[in-house]
Amino acid sequence: MPGITRYGYRDAISGFFEFPTENARSVLPRGFEPVEVHHGTSILAVTVFDFNESEVGEYGEVVYAVIVPPLVRDTRLPKSAFFPWQVATTTKAAREHAIERWHLPHWMNDVKVDFQREKGKTTAKVEADGAPALELVVTDHSWQPVSHLYQSFQKDDSGTYLANILFEGEKSEHEEEAGKIVLHENAFNKDIQISEVFETPFRELWMRNGCQLFDPLAQIEGK
Amino acid sequence: MEAAQKTSNEKPVFSEYDYSNFYYGAGDDPLNLLRPYADWYREARPAGYYLYMEALETAPTTRVRVKDGKTGQVRDLLNLASYNYLGISYRPEVKQAAHDAIEHYGLGASGSPILSGTFDVHEQFQQELARFKDKEAVVLFPTGYSANVGFISALMRSGDTIFLDQYSHASIVDGAILAKSKTVFFRHNNPLDLERKLTGVKGKKLVVVEGVYSMDGDICVLPEILEVAKRHGARILIDEAHSTFLFGPNGRGVAEHFGVDKEVDFHLGTFSKSLGGQGGFVAGSKELCDYVIAFARSRFFSCNLSPVLTAGLLAGLRIAQSEPQLRTKLWSNCAFLRRRFAEEGVDIGKSNSQVMPVMVNHDSRVLQVAEKIQERGLFLNPVTYPAVPKHKSRLRISVSAAHTESELEGAVQTIAGVLREEGICRA
Repeated sequence: MPGITRYGYRDAISGFFEFPTENARSVLPRGFEPVEVHHGTSILAVTVFDFNESEVGEYGEVVYAVIVPPLVRDTRLPKSAFFPWQVATTTKAAREHAIERWHLPHWMNDVKVDFQREKGKTTAKVEADGAPALELVVTDHSWQPVSHLYQSFQKDDSGTYLANILFEGEKSEHEEEAGKIVLHENAFNKDIQISEVFETPFRELWMRNGCQLFDPLAQIEGK
Repeated sequence: MEAAQKTSNEKPVFSEYDYSNFYYGAGDDPLNLLRPYADWYREARPAGYYLYMEALETAPTTRVRVKDGKTGQVRDLLNLASYNYLGISYRPEVKQAAHDAIEHYGLGASGSPILSGTFDVHEQFQQELARFKDKEAVVLFPTGYSANVGFISALMRSGDTIFLDQYSHASIVDGAILAKSKTVFFRHNNPLDLERKLTGVKGKKLVVVEGVYSMDGDICVLPEILEVAKRHGARILIDEAHSTFLFGPNGRGVAEHFGVDKEVDFHLGTFSKSLGGQGGFVAGSKELCDYVIAFARSRFFSCNLSPVLTAGLLAGLRIAQSEPQLRTKLWSNCAFLRRRFAEEGVDIGKSNSQVMPVMVNHDSRVLQVAEKIQERGLFLNPVTYPAVPKHKSRLRISVSAAHTESELEGAVQTIAGVLREEGICRA
């Protein structure tokens, strides 16, 4: 049984986008409900990582997730919780590692992730099957060191799982509506109603020079 | 579970969380969230959340006696927090009317408006209010909240589509939820985004806007929104909670201000803002009002407005109509305050009304700033996430016609002084 799993990253950028609750429900398994930002509107969280330290070396990763209610227990309250329904990596080793350890649903081919860093702004371009899949632009605000707990849920044929993830590093978070996403017509985005996703994130998060600390995956009941 | 153990041992500071963290819980017991919320609130309250719900011991005039939520000490403060935009609620004529009514009717209506709860004073108030709004009829509701919830759910159905400004008041959103219609949000005050959202939508469509948006104090760009809505065959509802009795040549609201009063399909308003009372209304054709009376559940399953309150509102309505100088004074006060804030480098966002947000834009410091300002003699409310976006925290000011320029100048000096000390506005 492994202990804490550590992933170090240079950058992790994330945008929270409004999209229809009916779309959110279509990608969530039974037993999970999306958090609504407005009635009928849920949250698509798109995160792109530039990992520089892990058990499987350096790699890039893109995660599509729906924000869901956290599991409130007698421990520290998480900042929020998410259900990733599609994860893609730049290497086969990273993909196999994540499937084996975290039961995460994956895009089964390598993707290409290109980070373009400018002052106050980072753009991540992702290609899948040799064609553009998405471009995510996230801008910064004030930076501060943080240690935030998040919850990630997974579900497959073997059960329902929860991973407690501690995000540590420098963080910028804001709602200035300065970022952007472009989702291309690509099989990578087949589960998203592209025309219904707000192109501007209502919240932008940027973590840098930090790490993710994963507790061992825990099987849970009641979902 | 090493990381979890580590995190549970490290107690996070209260400012890492806010109300939004305690909205959703998992598990089978709805009480699961009470303990984590109580633990958080125990720290948050003395750190500044006590500034909410501080008790007033006097009428909401321009000076109020407020019981400090932290110390319990009662202090005399300049009131920049109450709506009461025309300073009407405590006028002698209003108090006398309410006094006479309680002698005549007793305390309450003691019944639903569709059964035994309608009194002659309700009918008289409805008639005079309809004349004021230049409409055939008016329907009264017990609160502004119930007016929006009741009206929207009375009119719209499952399969219909309701288009809401993203900054819509909770009562509008809740009305759409209760209607079980599809809800589509468009970008705040953005006709282009509304156009995009309306395009291709079939069936019954309702666009809902507000005359003045209560957190930013900006006025709806009504002519542009109307043009888009009409072109797409959508009906339009305007909630004039913060604009009735204030805007337009006769004070009817923002629709009158823009000269499009007749083009707006549905008009809602409240009595809790400019009249400083309580209640809401729908104004329109007699056919519309008859339908609303029959189908607005929030109204007919509630007790009617108290006849005492209604008598006071009737007196207030007559003052609002007969003393247009109150509006003139209010706009003069607003112009003065806007100019002085600009001179002092205080950011009030896009406000062009009597609601002025003093932008602090520091979520972790807005409570301390508000605390400091209150200690120096001003009563106003901090507004933080999730009521407004992250990093858009502010102090909300409600300007009244009853304020003197001298009082407002004192407020500017205090606010600008604290913001300068905190490095939030320029020296």
